[in-house]
Amino acid sequence: MTEKEKLIIHPRPSSIVASLYTLRDLNVDVAILHGPPGCSFKHARLLEEDRLRVLTSAMDENDFVFGGREKLERTIDKAIELFSPKTIALVGTCTSMIIGEELTDSAAYAPDGVDVICVETHAGYANNTDGVISVLEPAMECGMITAEELERQRRLLTEATNVEIRHGAASKGYLAPSRGDIKYKAAEKLIELIRSGKKIVGILNAKKETAYMFADELIALYETARLFGMEENITIFSNTDITLGLPRVKEHAVNVMKAFDEQSVPVHEIIGGLDEYAVTAGNVKDLILNKYGGFDVAVIAGVPHALPMEAFAGMELFSITNGPRQVAPLKDMGHQHVMVEIDLHPQTLGVTKIVPSEFGDTLRAVATDVMAAEIGEKK
Amino acid sequence: MKKIIAIYGKGGIGKSSTASNIAAACAMNGKKVMLIGCDPKSDSSITLLGGKRIPTVLDVLREKKNVEKEDVIFEGFGGVKCMEVGGPEPGVGCAGRGIIVAIETLKKIYPEYLDNDLIIYDVPGDVVCGGFVAPIKKGFVNEVYVLTSGEYMPLYAANNICRGFNKIGMELGGIICNSRNADREKELAEEFSDRIGSKLIGYIPKDPLVQSCERDGFSVLEKAPDSEIAGVYKQLAEDLLANTDRVKATPLDDDALRELSKKYSD
Ligand SMILES: Nc1ncnc2c1ncn2[C@@H]1O[C@H](COP(=O)(O)OP(=O)(O)OP(=O)(O)O)[C@@H](O)[C@H]1O
Ligand code: SF4
Ligand SMILES: [Mg+2]
Repeated sequence: MTEKEKLIIHPRPSSIVASLYTLRDLNVDVAILHGPPGCSFKHARLLEEDRLRVLTSAMDENDFVFGGREKLERTIDKAIELFSPKTIALVGTCTSMIIGEELTDSAAYAPDGVDVICVETHAGYANNTDGVISVLEPAMECGMITAEELERQRRLLTEATNVEIRHGAASKGYLAPSRGDIKYKAAEKLIELIRSGKKIVGILNAKKETAYMFADELIALYETARLFGMEENITIFSNTDITLGLPRVKEHAVNVMKAFDEQSVPVHEIIGGLDEYAVTAGNVKDLILNKYGGFDVAVIAGVPHALPMEAFAGMELFSITNGPRQVAPLKDMGHQHVMVEIDLHPQTLGVTKIVPSEFGDTLRAVATDVMAAEIGEKK
Repeated sequence: MKKIIAIYGKGGIGKSSTASNIAAACAMNGKKVMLIGCDPKSDSSITLLGGKRIPTVLDVLREKKNVEKEDVIFEGFGGVKCMEVGGPEPGVGCAGRGIIVAIETLKKIYPEYLDNDLIIYDVPGDVVCGGFVAPIKKGFVNEVYVLTSGEYMPLYAANNICRGFNKIGMELGGIICNSRNADREKELAEEFSDRIGSKLIGYIPKDPLVQSCERDGFSVLEKAPDSEIAGVYKQLAEDLLANTDRVKATPLDDDALRELSKKYSD
C-alpha cells in the first residue's frame, strides 16, 4: 500500500459476493466456491433463497498446502448428482487464487451437457465491481451475454463505483453506521406537506431486487396522498425499464411495474433500468429542471446518493436507503430526512412481489390516524 | 506456431544466463524476442540491459494500480523486450502469487506480447508452489525445457521437474546440459534424456567468458560475439527454434537415477 491510497477501514461486501449475485442474475443454477467452508457463508445462504445453489469445496489447511483440485471435482460430482444443473460456476476465493488453483482444469472435468463458467476472483479487490466483471467476461465468452451487454455493464459498474466514491460507502475512510431519522417523525412531516398541497416527486432509484421494498415507499406515498385527495400533486419516476439488464433484473422490473399497476399508482417517467441507478442522474435532473419544475418535495427511495443535488435545489428531501453507513453521507449532501430500511436486502431475495417497507407502513398508519382523528373532531 | 518456452532446472544451474544468451542469439538472428523474468531476484534481463535493473511489475503495481506497458517493458540488446516480475523480499509475502498477478498484468497491458517469435519465461529454481507454474497455466507456454548438468543433484531436480510436468499435463521439449565439468557429462545427459523419453537438445560447455561478461553486465553474444561459447548459444537458439518434438516424459525412479549417475562417475 502506498501513501496515495486511501484507507477504507469498514468491512464491505467482497468481490466474491458480487460475483455470486451476478451469477444469480444470469440464472446460473449452481455456484461452487472453491475455498474454505466459511467463505461468504452469509450471502451464500441468502442466495439460496433466490434460486442460486451455493456450494463450497470446503478447502482446509491440507488443501491450502497441497492444493484442493480433487475436492473441487468431488464437489462438482455431488452438485450434478443432487441438482442436475445446466450451468455451474466455479468461483475462486482468496485461498484458491493465492495458491494458484486452476479452475479451468476442473471445468474440463465436468461432463458434457453441463456448462461451466470459471470465475477468477478473490476478496482483495479494492472495488467489488471487479467481481461482477470477472463473471461477465467468461459469461460473454460462452455466449450467455452479448458483447454489447458486457460493455453496457462495464459502463454501469464504472459509474456505480464513482457514485460510491463520491457520496457512498467509499467516500470516507470510516463511516459509522446509523439507523437514520425516526420514521414516525418523518412520516408526520411528510403528511403535513402532502396535506398542505405541496407538489411532490417520488423517485424510485433502486438497485435490482431491492426495488421490491423501495417501490413500497412510493406506493405508500401515493396511497397517502390519495387518502387526503392530493394524488394529483404526486409525480412518480421509476428506474424499472423492463427492457434493460441481465435476465433476472428484467424479471424484477416487470414484477415491480405490475405491482404499481395493481395498486393504481401511475408511473409518470421511466428513468432507466433496475441496474442503472448509477446513471439515472442526468435523466432525473433534466426531467425536474426542464420538463416538470415547481416541485417542493422529493421522496427518493433506493440509492438517493446517486442523484445530483442540483436537481433538488430548494426542495425538502425525504430519502430512504438500506445502508446504515449511507446516512452520514446523505446528511452531508443536504438530505433533510434520511430513513434506513434495516435488513432490507435479505427480505427482497427470492421474492416476486412487493415487500412492505417500514417507512411505507409508518406513513400509512400515521395517515390513517390523522384521518380518523379528523373525522372524530368533525363529529 | 509461436514459441513460448519456459526453462526450468535446479537453482543456480544457469537458467537465467542460458535464457538471456539464447534471447540475444535469436534477436541477432532477426527474431522478435521477449524475455520474462519470473524470479523475485529479477536478474534475468540484466545482461541484456548493460547491467542495469529495470523496475519490476510488482514494484510498479505496488506504487500505482494502473501499470502501463512503458513502465515495465524495456528493450534491451538486439531489441529483446525485457520484463521482470519481481516479488517480495525473501521471507515475506507470497512470491508465487506475485507471478500470477504479474502474468495477468502482462496480458492486460501488452496483449500483443504473443506476437513475438520467441517468448522465454525464466523461472526460479525451485517450483515450490502453484505460482511457479503460472507461466504454463496462464502464460500460454507451449514448450518447456529442463536445464541440468551431469551432477547428481541437478539431475535429480530435473527428473523431479519432469514428474511435475506430467502432473499438470505439460509435455517436454527437451533437456539442455549446462556443463559443470562432471565426468562424461554429455554422454550422461544424453542417456538421461533418452531414458526419460526425451532428447538432449544442447550441450553448453563451462566457459569463464559467461561469468566475466555477466559481471560486466552483458551476454556473451553482445560482448564476445565471435567467441566459441557465443557460437554454442547461437546453435542452441537455432535448434530450439527448429525443435518440434514434445513428449510426455517418463521420469526415473530414485534407484534408477542413482544407478545412472554412478555409471558415469567411475
Ligand atoms: N556455461 C556456463 N559457463 C560458466 N558459467 C556459467 C555457465 N552457465 C551459467 N554460469 C554461471 O553460473 C551462475 C548461475 O547462473 P544463473 O544465475 O543463470 O543460474 P539460475 O539457474 O538462473 O539460478 P537461480 O535458480 O538462482 O535463478 C552465474 O554466475 C552464471 O554466469
Ligand atoms: S479471506 Fe477470502 S477466502 Fe477466506 S473467508 Fe474471507 S473472503 Fe473467503
Ligand atoms: Mg535465475
